[in-house]
Amino acid sequence: MKTGVNSFDRHMTAAAFAEAGEFDTATELLQEQKDAVKKPKKAPSPATRKKPYTGMIIFGALSLSGYAALMTHQGWVGEEFTMGGWHAAYPVVTAVIFSFIHGAFASNMLTILGIEPKNKK
Amino acid sequence: MKKLFLIIMGVMLILPMVTSAFAGGPPPKDVMKGVFISVDDTARTTEFKKSGSEGTTQLVLGESMVPADIRINKKVMVSLDKHAGENVIKSVDIMFMDLKVSKIVALLIIGLIGGLLSGFIGSGGAFVLTPAMMTLGVPGAIAVASNMCHKFPKAMVGAYKRYKYGQADIKLGLVMAVTAIIGVQIGIQIQKYILNHFGNAGSNLYVSFVFMVVLVFVGGYVLYDAYKLSKGGDETKTSKLALRMQQIKIPPMIHFKVAKITISAWVTIPVGLFTGMLAATIAVGGFIGVPGMIYVCGASAVVASATELIIAFIMGAWGSIQWGLSGLIDIRLTLLILAGSLIGVQLGALGTTYVKDYMIKLVMASTMLIVAVSRGAKIPGYLADLNLVAPVKPQLAHTLAQVSFWALVAALASAALIISVAMFRGMAQAKMEAQTEHIVSHG
Repeated sequence: MKTGVNSFDRHMTAAAFAEAGEFDTATELLQEQKDAVKKPKKAPSPATRKKPYTGMIIFGALSLSGYAALMTHQGWVGEEFTMGGWHAAYPVVTAVIFSFIHGAFASNMLTILGIEPKNKK
Repeated sequence: MKKLFLIIMGVMLILPMVTSAFAGGPPPKDVMKGVFISVDDTARTTEFKKSGSEGTTQLVLGESMVPADIRINKKVMVSLDKHAGENVIKSVDIMFMDLKVSKIVALLIIGLIGGLLSGFIGSGGAFVLTPAMMTLGVPGAIAVASNMCHKFPKAMVGAYKRYKYGQADIKLGLVMAVTAIIGVQIGIQIQKYILNHFGNAGSNLYVSFVFMVVLVFVGGYVLYDAYKLSKGGDETKTSKLALRMQQIKIPPMIHFKVAKITISAWVTIPVGLFTGMLAATIAVGGFIGVPGMIYVCGASAVVASATELIIAFIMGAWGSIQWGLSGLIDIRLTLLILAGSLIGVQLGALGTTYVKDYMIKLVMASTMLIVAVSRGAKIPGYLADLNLVAPVKPQLAHTLAQVSFWALVAALASAALIISVAMFRGMAQAKMEAQTEHIVSHG
């Protein structure tokens, strides 16, 4: 209730400033209120922060199917990836792509397990 | 992040110009890949179909080979003995070993621990991965190539994480990497000189000797420093040598923001060159790069080890392209190691946010010293090869080989143990501090 009154009051003040041609002050007043409302959302306590389950599942599935594809196509991979010359791009690019996918999976997994970096203040 | 990306792309574009620089030594020559079609036992010849070409070539079996060594219809890597004549086979290695479950599990575990070490001290993994893979039956060249190809994406992920924690100095990393690539070139020239004058055994002895001296000397000093710091020394104190180096005001002076140092390029260049030379010689440049950045340039252990990951990324990417061009990377091995090491490297990077500077030095020093033991165990064999001492008895040779391998395993295991304990202790402490803070602020 108190915040409602406050908000009404602030809007009225902003309107008064705006009518008087002080647009900057009016915008500032409204901005302050926005910040005040947003703030708690921006810095939630660690306990309530949402854990990246979706990320882990998606990247995990991608990574796993990548490994499955690799293991079931060993013959083809063995031939194509070792031709040399411009085929050098095959293993190098594959390694990078796998790193992104599997790296993202690992990062999400560690977060879910609660292993996070210490916040250095 | 955008800036980081642009800088890395820029370096990647410039790198191909340094055409003859290889990280970790150049790919072997006189090697052919393909499949044996048939073998003639009496004539000691075989029909060989080279990969990518239609026709077959006739190859002659070398003196030390028996027809049973030739496996038909299996992709192989053939080393030729050019001294014995045209098309004479020196050795045959099966390129892609069959991956059994036990081997897959072994690769995953080695990858995980190697990654942990890499994320924590900036280097490591490579010195144990190559011998471990060879123990599993991978031909040497393939082991080096697949290892190199796993190293650079791992270093990339580790460098990115530690950059996010505000530990990696990109500028210092780039300066070091560029000079290190030149150092690699010098290192290869020295290697070639020794190989030409003293043969393979001489080269092996030289590599092991450099390895031992550098690791014992540098590792010992880092250990002494870590011990002093753990006894309540000043964490922020810069080494005397670094302070003196920072007094040298010969332009161009470079300021490194994250490392918080301003130092003449004439100091960083030799550090980079030595890192590269060592990378070409013993394949672990990080063991001199990190102490160099700490004790000569004056960076903290946490910044130096994070920056080393940037260097490892650039040099590893360059090396991988070189090895890829000769088609020796077994991507299955690369990706299996990556599966473990990408988790490990992030865990190691996380660990650095919980520990004090001396902990990083301690892990680094203990790893270096145990690895030195591993290499030292090989020296008697090389000395005997050069006829400098009496031949080593088979029993002793076997023991020494075992000591060498298990010392590597011990290096990895002890490092992993120290890191895990330090990290979990740090995490528990941080949690307690947070709780106390919560109670104080909320009553």
